[in-house]
Amino acid sequence: MATIADLRQLVSETKPEEAAAMTGELLAAGHNAMEVLEEGVMNGLNDVGDRFAAKKAIVLDLVRAGVTAKACIPLIQEAFPKGEGAKIEKKIVLGTMLSQHNIGKNLVSTLLSIGGFEVIDIGEKNSPWDFYETAEKVGADMIAVSVVFAPAMEKFTELLDLLKELKVRDKYPVIVGGAVTSQKWADAQGADGWGAQAKDGVSLARDLLKVA
Amino acid sequence: MGKLLWEAIQRSTTGPLMSEEKFETELFPTVLGDLQKKYRLEWDPDEPCMIDPDMADAVFQAGKELLLEVGLYCKNTKRIIKFTQEEIEEAVCSARHEVTLGHGRQAITLEPRAPGDEQHLYTFFPAGQLTTDVELYKNHALTVMQEPTCDGVIPLPLFAVGNMKNIADTPASTLVCLTEARVMNEAATWAGKPGLFFGIPMSATTPLALMSTFGSGLYNKNNCTLPVQILQDMRVDYDRFNLAFFADQQGIEPWMSCSPTLYAYLTGPEQGAMEIIAHTLGMLAYSGGALTQAMSVSVHGTYVGNDISWCNSAAALAAERNLKLPWVSFGMTGNPAGALSDDNWYDTAAACINGCISGMEGLWLAGGNTGLEARWAGEIARAGATLSPKEGVEIIKKINAAERAPAPPGVPLDKLYDLATLRPRQELVDQYRKFTRIFQDLGLDYPTWGHEEPVS
Repeated sequence: MATIADLRQLVSETKPEEAAAMTGELLAAGHNAMEVLEEGVMNGLNDVGDRFAAKKAIVLDLVRAGVTAKACIPLIQEAFPKGEGAKIEKKIVLGTMLSQHNIGKNLVSTLLSIGGFEVIDIGEKNSPWDFYETAEKVGADMIAVSVVFAPAMEKFTELLDLLKELKVRDKYPVIVGGAVTSQKWADAQGADGWGAQAKDGVSLARDLLKVA
Repeated sequence: MGKLLWEAIQRSTTGPLMSEEKFETELFPTVLGDLQKKYRLEWDPDEPCMIDPDMADAVFQAGKELLLEVGLYCKNTKRIIKFTQEEIEEAVCSARHEVTLGHGRQAITLEPRAPGDEQHLYTFFPAGQLTTDVELYKNHALTVMQEPTCDGVIPLPLFAVGNMKNIADTPASTLVCLTEARVMNEAATWAGKPGLFFGIPMSATTPLALMSTFGSGLYNKNNCTLPVQILQDMRVDYDRFNLAFFADQQGIEPWMSCSPTLYAYLTGPEQGAMEIIAHTLGMLAYSGGALTQAMSVSVHGTYVGNDISWCNSAAALAAERNLKLPWVSFGMTGNPAGALSDDNWYDTAAACINGCISGMEGLWLAGGNTGLEARWAGEIARAGATLSPKEGVEIIKKINAAERAPAPPGVPLDKLYDLATLRPRQELVDQYRKFTRIFQDLGLDYPTWGHEEPVS
């Protein structure tokens, strides 16, 4: 019988078809959806990340791990009990600054959605203006930014400056995360929150938007 | 201009369609892996250089097949541009094997040199600092250009001129590039070398800025080249073709460069070397260039290590044996620790010796952050010219095993040089002398240009 540890192994080995099939199997067998997500998919992703940090994996492995996670997540989302996904009337604009990376951003998006937030995912390769314009257009309550390479760090600072210049900085709490960021750096830029992991996005959103 | 420029443009509208994601995650890595297996390319992590002629030929064949099988991915049209074997072989046969850089008394001609050749590598030093201070930028350039081993320079990018930031795609960017070109010309004249080669316009970040900088005449076909490189991992866009065509129209030498990132989509130095050859053949096909710059970098941000140097030497030796293009690689460490760090001096020397024994013709960005480090790189490149590959590898292994003092904090240029007289201060001269002695003991005994009397 399949276990969550087996799923973690498949995600870690970046096998999308097999991982998706096992996700379905685990959910059908009655495993808790959040456990499947956190202990199976996210821990599998973390394993690949750890191997990369130890120079035992390459960027392509990270990309393939993202593809694998992407194959599993819709099945998990469907399996959440309706009550758990109850809507919170708060809108969060989420996107990646400048680059095309989306693994972390997609995970944050999934977890925020599961947490009941309305996520407006503006995708990848965004400029500071894209975040501002979308937030204004949809009447967002918060902006969440994924910063995964050095040039995007400067653009994140530009976003905060832009919001100040347009006198909407107080209107939007801004949180940030991603491979090249740190708590110290986020604090120095004046971000309202920083997350080391995807799940931190949910707790930050709950705190900053005062969701019980 | 390459004979295949127009074909490449045509094929960018008719070649097979493919998503970029599929290209980069499936086609490219699969073919790379298969070819690496087919040609049995394997790096020994204990080896800093690739000196095996048979494996060099295998790297060349694998790189050529990589280009033929994968082609170049056109980002504008999402189509794959393919070349035939006959087309690539004709491009190789008609390639130029020499290139003259600079003009007047500073003109140098890079000709094919094999490992152990008496002809030394030419050394092109970094000039100017990463700064917004134009005066400091010029002073730094002067400290480098005055060095006797300076065969040319590579300007470092200017971030701004006063309060005018180098903003891409605006006239401000062109202004900054023109300032870079003006300062380089002035500094070269002050150094008594008005015909010096200035590499490529480094402050330019877009094709528009590159082309408009040449429009001024400050950079021109006699003193500068124009980058036409393939983008990371076999990708091109129309900017590459526009630049290649512009270079041809203006009679400017194309700067063919390839800097693969190891451990991103490439599993190691073997695949890095294959990609360098594939890119070089692709650029040769559409730009008709000769001067080639090839260096690898790790996705973890380093420019040194056995994997990096092995990759650079494997590609260079493969090219030396099969292409004979004027070939340059990276001659410094990219280490921010500065001129008083032992790492910089040791690792710069290792890069220079690697270049010598791999059959390269030159080193770009050779040295470090100061004129004396530049002199050092030039001297090692000259002293190491006649080393056999085996001798060179032995020295590099000793360099890698050497005990190194912990790096001190970085020091600004005015603490290392008296900027009024452009003479090095005592501490820097002591460092230079220390390493001259160390390398004499390692068997590189060479005449230096004398020891500057430091500023007291």
